[in-house]
Amino acid sequence: MSIDAPAPTPGLLSRIRIKPLDVLIVVASLAALVVLSILVYGGAPSETLVVTADTGEWVYPLSISRTVEVPGKLGVTVVTIDHGQARIIDSPCVNKLCVASPPIGKTGEWSACLPNGVFIRIEGAKKTDGIDAVVR
Amino acid sequence: MRLSARHLPHYADGGRRMAAFLAALAFFLSTIEYMLPRPVPFMRLGLANLPILLAVDLLPFGAYMLLALVKVVGMSVLTGSLFSYVALFSLTGTLASALVMRGLRFIAGPKALSYIGLCVAGAVASNMVQVALARVFVFGPSARLMAPAFMAFGLVSGLILGVFAEAFASRSVWLARARDGRHD
Repeated sequence: MSIDAPAPTPGLLSRIRIKPLDVLIVVASLAALVVLSILVYGGAPSETLVVTADTGEWVYPLSISRTVEVPGKLGVTVVTIDHGQARIIDSPCVNKLCVASPPIGKTGEWSACLPNGVFIRIEGAKKTDGIDAVVR
Repeated sequence: MRLSARHLPHYADGGRRMAAFLAALAFFLSTIEYMLPRPVPFMRLGLANLPILLAVDLLPFGAYMLLALVKVVGMSVLTGSLFSYVALFSLTGTLASALVMRGLRFIAGPKALSYIGLCVAGAVASNMVQVALARVFVFGPSARLMAPAFMAFGLVSGLILGVFAEAFASRSVWLARARDGRHD
C-alpha cells in the first residue's frame, strides 16, 4: 500500500466543496454553543471557589488568600487562592495538565484534575448565602 | 447497511488489511498528537481520528467499529492511561464519534455531506459524551461548566481536521483507488 501525500499546490483549498449538510451541522453546533454559553456563563459576578472531590464539596471565598489540600482518588491535590484567582499547584496525577492550566477567577470558569477526581469552579455570590461549607 | 453497501468497496478479506493499515496510521498519528503541545489543557486535536473518518467510506461496519476500538487501545497504551478510568472517556468518546459519523453517512451520501460536516459532528459528539460521562462518574453537576468549552473546541478541531481531510481526499490517488476497491 502506498500513500500519496497531498502536495502543497496553490488552490488546494479551492478544491474543497462545502455540502449542504456541512453547513447545517456547523450552524447547529454553533447554535448549541451559544445556548450552552448563555446557560453556563450568564451568572452573577464571581465570589466563591467551589471545590468538588470524591469525598465532598467545599466552598471558599475568593477574597481571602489561602492554600487548600483536597483529598482525591489518588492523593492530595493542592489548590491555592491568591488575589481572587484560584489554581491547582500540585496533584498526584501523571501528566500534570491541571497544574499547567491557567488560574481561574471569573464566574463559570473551571479547572480540574481528572485522574484525582478533583474539580474546582468559580461561582457567583447567590448560592452561598448563610452557608459556610457544604459536605455531602 | 443496505444503503451504504453500494458505495463501499469490496474486499476479498472483509477489509482486514485495510483496517490494519488504518489502525497503524491511527497509532502513528496518536504519537504525533502526543508530541504536540496543547494550546488548552484537556483538549486534543484528534489527529488519530482521521483514519476513522476516512474509514467511513472504506470499511464494512464490523471492521469499522473494530478500527475504532483498536485506536482507543493504541492511544491508551501510548499515553499510559489504558488501565485507568481515563481510558473509559477515550473509549466512549471514540465510539460515540464513530457511530455518529457512520450514522450520518448512512443518511446522507458524499454529495450532501463532506468530511467537514462528518468530522465536526463526530468531534462534537465525542466531546459532549465525555462531558456527560464526567457529570455521571466524576464531577457531578459542576461538569456542566465544562460543556461550552468542550463544545467550542470540538467545533474548531472538527473544522480543522475536516478541511484537512477534504483537501487530502481531493488530491490523494491512494484514497481514490481505495474507494474503487483497487487496493494494493
